[in-house]
Amino acid sequence: MILVPCPNCGPRNSSDLRNTGEVVPRPDAATASLSEWRSYLYLRDNPAGWVTETWYCRSGCRTYFTIERNTATNEVRGLERT
Amino acid sequence: MSEIDFRGPVDSVALSAPDGAITLADESSCTKVLVRGARKTAAGIHLKVTYGRSRRRKDGVLVCGSRPGEWTLLAEPGRSGDVAESIPSEGFVSIVDITHGRAMLRISGRDAVGALAKVCNVDLADDMTPDGAVFSGSVAKVTCDLVRDDRDGERSYLISCERSFGRYLFSAVADACVEFGVDMPPGLSIH
Repeated sequence: MILVPCPNCGPRNSSDLRNTGEVVPRPDAATASLSEWRSYLYLRDNPAGWVTETWYCRSGCRTYFTIERNTATNEVRGLERT
Repeated sequence: MSEIDFRGPVDSVALSAPDGAITLADESSCTKVLVRGARKTAAGIHLKVTYGRSRRRKDGVLVCGSRPGEWTLLAEPGRSGDVAESIPSEGFVSIVDITHGRAMLRISGRDAVGALAKVCNVDLADDMTPDGAVFSGSVAKVTCDLVRDDRDGERSYLISCERSFGRYLFSAVADACVEFGVDMPPGLSIH
């Protein structure tokens, strides 16, 4: 079980939330190339280590927030509302 | 808002254990009004309840802080109009009657927490969810809004979900109550 700290509901089982993926900076729509859009939409680093990702509290307060999670140990730090 | 005849999703009568230690009843026909708006709007100030808590108004309406910036008002059947009109609607506020869109059941009695704990993933201990607590979680794998609304000193929970899950939820919770002496009526079994 992965415990994810929701800013409103507190620690919840990850099955109560949805991991919406790594946080990726959105490119400038006016200047981005097709390659940059493709990278933004489809490509992720997927490291075995610390990653910043967005979660959605779907069973609870329905808030999106970001955390840093170690994908190897599931340790969590750096909670932030989005 | 006009009152429309309510047709409940659950066609079972209330179920009880012979010793009265647990009662499960369909309360889907209760008035349910959803209010969304910022806490600093007139509605937010009027409702006075933070996320995760509830209070009963003098007119009997139970005001539940169901999400940040969202409240659910519960009352006896047929009161949608007056409940909705009691909320100040100035500013960016949305008031919607969701009576017909949600199923609701009440589980009460000293064994209620034991039966509910079998199918709910939220900690039902007093220090985590005291009387008046409002929380959301999975009940029999259905996402539900729950309110602890004790009656006469006994545990009592209101559980609401999307209307289309109502019959299944009632059956699943009734099934969890069988261990505590509730007889499952024919046709309600989920097995």
